[in-house]
Amino acid sequence: MSLTLTCPICGKRNGYEFRYGGEDKGPRPEEEGLTPRSWCDYVHMNKCVAGVQKEWWFHRDGCGSWFTTYRNTVTNLEVEGPEAKE
Amino acid sequence: MFGKYKPLWGEKTRLKSSYDAVIIGGGLHGLATAYFLAKEHGMKNVAIIEKNFIGFGGAGRNTAIVRANQRTQINVPLYKEALDLWPVLTKDLDFNLMFNNCGNLNLMHSEAAMNAARMNIATAQFHGVESHLLDAKQVKEMVPALNISPDITYPIHGAMYHPPGGIVRHDAVVWGLAKGAVKLGAEIHQQTEATAIHTENGKITGVETSRGKIHTPRVLVSAGGYSAGIISQMLGVKLPISVLTIQAMVTQPLKPILNHVVSSGAYHCYANQTLKGEIATGAHMDPWPNYTTLTTAYYIKHQAQALSEFLPCLRGIKFMRHWGGLADMTPDMAPIMDGNDPIDGFYMNCGWGYFGFKSCSSTGKYLAEYMATGSCPDILKPFNLRRYERHELMGETAALVNYSPDN
Repeated sequence: MSLTLTCPICGKRNGYEFRYGGEDKGPRPEEEGLTPRSWCDYVHMNKCVAGVQKEWWFHRDGCGSWFTTYRNTVTNLEVEGPEAKE
Repeated sequence: MFGKYKPLWGEKTRLKSSYDAVIIGGGLHGLATAYFLAKEHGMKNVAIIEKNFIGFGGAGRNTAIVRANQRTQINVPLYKEALDLWPVLTKDLDFNLMFNNCGNLNLMHSEAAMNAARMNIATAQFHGVESHLLDAKQVKEMVPALNISPDITYPIHGAMYHPPGGIVRHDAVVWGLAKGAVKLGAEIHQQTEATAIHTENGKITGVETSRGKIHTPRVLVSAGGYSAGIISQMLGVKLPISVLTIQAMVTQPLKPILNHVVSSGAYHCYANQTLKGEIATGAHMDPWPNYTTLTTAYYIKHQAQALSEFLPCLRGIKFMRHWGGLADMTPDMAPIMDGNDPIDGFYMNCGWGYFGFKSCSSTGKYLAEYMATGSCPDILKPFNLRRYERHELMGETAALVNYSPDN
């Protein structure tokens, strides 16, 4: 299960250099009109997709970048996202 | 496994078009629920549908450790009852579950950890669970193989000793419960995958499977690490769960050296000696959510380093087998058991992380009561899904955890 991830600054690196930052849930919700349920949804709830998902990573043992990438959770391999195909 | 052999629990039956309840997932929690539904509530027209074979998931991949030394007052009684049920089930199922209550020794590596253990022990004693604090010398007397010298990475200050815990043969629990449930009328359908859950006007109406449609007013999703994905994909209900791989391994068989389960939070390592003599050991989870059950060299190296420090006599011993399973972790390290919310007749049992094995017996008993009566037993009430939006997280860990590389 040799995961490698592509850091926007450092390029392709060993997965153990990174910290997983969660599923990509879009922008942080506006504080106005925020309910406990919608906040909980943003903070805690996950889709747990068995397949390709967009997610956040932090290059902890590297340059310190936060970035999003796509990974297939069934194979644990980084894949090209829809943006790359456009 | 499938072929011409007759399953241990009896003849294969045809999948019917209607059941009183359908349980998705042929693991320990699903089997136990079906067993108690039939035994205590007379609900026998129940199908357990399993995509692979029973015991394929966490039921056959855990390290077989049972204990009731959790942290919160909400969790301890549930695990205590599970512990008390092993001898009862052994008798009722007429199946040797090989319960070996050798006791758990939870090593502490700092004075802060000793204080945390004092609180855990007070909670345990309050609930009638035996648990003691030992100092390093007493630990050494109990397990002479342990290294209590101060020159290791995390010197041993003492331990929380929990005598009623131990080991249960996990495959025997799968087989015993399967046999018990089927004998009382439940049906087990292996190689049957749930593909959709049907609802109408906020009520469960049926389950679509790879072998046809089933009509039912009740569905329990109890599919271990796969539950959150199933519930989110089929019903659009998102859960506060991250699914991570956790690995375990066994060494070559040795003469008896370890007569207790030994675990260490600081080293991220636990070990016990099986009845065959192997040292079965596991550690933390892989730092990224995924559905593979692949194993890594990184993990073997970690185990070898940790074990050779606090059990130095294991240096040079070879690992024989290594496997992975899924742990569905919640932010408060406590499970989610809920029903009839937001869909009538829909029950879920997930978020058990890496402690689903030790709790399967009591959980099955109470979930069966929940499904049969439609009202939630008091002991399960705090485990509802809404606790997260109410910010009533359980505090099974002292600090909130984020399942990623650091743990």
